[in-house]
Amino acid sequence: MTADTVVALQGVTKRFAAHTAVKQLTLAVPRGSIYGLLGPNGAGKTTTIRMIMNILVPDEGTISLFGTRSDGRALSSRIGYLPEERGLYRKMKVGDLLVFLAETKGMDRQAARREAKRWLEQLGLGAWEQQKLDALSKGMQQKVQFISTVMHGPALVILDEPFASLDPVNTQVMKDTVVTLARAGTTILFSTHIMEHAEKLCDAICIIARGEKVVDGRLADIKRNHGGRHVIVAVERGVEAERVLKDRTLVAKADEYGQYAELELADGAAPHRILEALVRAGAQVTRFEVAEPTLHKIFIDKVGPDAATAPADTGGARG
Amino acid sequence: MGKIWVVVRREFVERVRTKWFIISTVLGPVLMFAFIAVPLIMARRGAEERKVGVVDATSTGFGQRLAETLDQALPIQATWLPTSVDQIETAADSLVGLIGLKSIDGFVIVTDEAVDDGKAEYRGANVTSPRDMQILSNLVEEAVFTERLGRAGVDAALVRQARIPLQFRTLKVAGARTTTSSGEGSFILAYVIWLLLYMGILLYGVNVMGSVVEEKSSRIVEVLISSLRPFELLAGKIVGVGGVGLFQFAIWGVFGAVMVDRRELVFRLLGESIPGGEMPALPEVPLGTVIVFLLFFLLGYFLYAAMFAAVGAMTGSEAEARQAANVVVMLLVLPSVLMIGILNDPDGRMAVTLSLVPFTSPIAMPVRWAAAEVPAGELASSLGFLALALAAVTWVAGRIYRVGILMYGKRPGLGELVRWVRTA
Repeated sequence: MTADTVVALQGVTKRFAAHTAVKQLTLAVPRGSIYGLLGPNGAGKTTTIRMIMNILVPDEGTISLFGTRSDGRALSSRIGYLPEERGLYRKMKVGDLLVFLAETKGMDRQAARREAKRWLEQLGLGAWEQQKLDALSKGMQQKVQFISTVMHGPALVILDEPFASLDPVNTQVMKDTVVTLARAGTTILFSTHIMEHAEKLCDAICIIARGEKVVDGRLADIKRNHGGRHVIVAVERGVEAERVLKDRTLVAKADEYGQYAELELADGAAPHRILEALVRAGAQVTRFEVAEPTLHKIFIDKVGPDAATAPADTGGARG
Repeated sequence: MGKIWVVVRREFVERVRTKWFIISTVLGPVLMFAFIAVPLIMARRGAEERKVGVVDATSTGFGQRLAETLDQALPIQATWLPTSVDQIETAADSLVGLIGLKSIDGFVIVTDEAVDDGKAEYRGANVTSPRDMQILSNLVEEAVFTERLGRAGVDAALVRQARIPLQFRTLKVAGARTTTSSGEGSFILAYVIWLLLYMGILLYGVNVMGSVVEEKSSRIVEVLISSLRPFELLAGKIVGVGGVGLFQFAIWGVFGAVMVDRRELVFRLLGESIPGGEMPALPEVPLGTVIVFLLFFLLGYFLYAAMFAAVGAMTGSEAEARQAANVVVMLLVLPSVLMIGILNDPDGRMAVTLSLVPFTSPIAMPVRWAAAEVPAGELASSLGFLALALAAVTWVAGRIYRVGILMYGKRPGLGELVRWVRTA
């Protein structure tokens, strides 16, 4: 753990009555990064985040925030948390609600009033400050919830499935705000099972499945390390080339696209071995590219198609 | 502590702003006023003259003397209707018609059996009025009594003198001095104390439960719990809601004090003449009683609010919570059901037991205190037991609350609850 680590988990395990939700999880969120916690439904993402927030207490292992062992509540003025299950007091006025939630995080009442106004203006809800939550549309309520997460100026923002059930406009607002916050130096930790979001936003990720870490690190490093498994080739057709492409010691799977083929390398095979084999077979290679895999592809490769399509959650305490 | 205060303020402000609070605050005194005013008005109406027929089938002329006795009595106008035994039903039929026309209120049927065997009959539209029946039966009894003594040769004037009723005044002795409270006044005070305690603890306890359920079902609880310790949230909630209760009592208290202070005006507004030009004696409300009341209200409310909060935390919806809360409500109903027993014998074994057992003492002890002298030692042990129970219940309820607020789905069984308490 370095001084530049905002969230660090060391061998964290959480067991529930029937199953182990998180097993020996170790990860580190670097300061100023946008960090994605990825995994299929039921992988243990929410349990992990709840442990980071000290809503749940781990059975084993340690969690440190900002390099200290203080719990999330003591540090709540520096942390913004958006849970997966959203909810607000529906009978309260928007302004009063935002001030109350900011006060529970230790913000001064006057400052909270001022910040609430500023954020509501910024997200186009300025006219709704004195309205009850009930009177707002679902999309507007989502914005209010998001404001409540970030308005006290936290150095660490933790978002559990932030894009779930957002409409397209709010999804864009959320992404823009996340990027703006990150540029201003805020560390963002968010969980998602939608890889496209993570691919666009994240500097670093951790993929977990069935409560266990599959891979973590900087996204660029992970892609580079994984990239060797994928090759795009275009060759003049010939028996020789065909033989190489069907060689299961080299190519696990070949997707033909007419102009070119996308090859998945067999275990133990390396891209240069295929090139070598093609050249030796006398095939005319017009294109040879070690492709960067999509995060989705990495996810499927690492987790396996079974886990990736884990059954949809239906409420309850989830991982 | 600062964060508890934030929760207290939200609970208090949001609740005091609701229509429910404004309506119940206004309606409370209106209802209390109605409780006092309606019997007064009813009593005035009751003071109207009753028109009563006396169907006389006696052979001794007793019926005529009875009609005279009744007619002399202030609220009754009696008419003598002589008939014979075999004509009674015919006479009755025609009188029933007159009752239907509201020409008379009812009629007494007397035969020779009245004096010989002590049997008489009244048929009328006002038989459900205990007051009317009391007056009437007293008068008939007096006439029969006089008749019997007359037959035995006793002078009628002597009989009348012998029958002058006794005015029995009751005054409560409290704190080794005689108060101005009448026995009836103390009873009313105890009754009002019971009503306020029962309603206060129940309504505000259920309010706490509703608040827990709201936070749980709206899922806002997870945001709250990320910056507040469950204890801070629960304590803030209970204190905030309790503050609303005390605030409401204070409003009512001030209103009541003004009403009592201006009671002559109130009586005049009701068009009620003050009996004998003197105000009826009001029960004294000593400071000690107020303190005991507030102390037991607060401790009792905390005890029940913690239990209601735990029930709210382990259920998922208001409807489910109300059903599960029945067990808790039963504990509160118990001393209420037995209240008449407590008042009849405030030093009896049942009253003493109920006022010492923590779950019934918040209601039983103040009621006993208002009705009789309670030894200081008993008051102290009652408070002690209550405080101990409060600590234990809060500990258990806090743990159930802590686990329950984040649990969704099936309501936990008893075994699971025990596990929550142990692992929380």
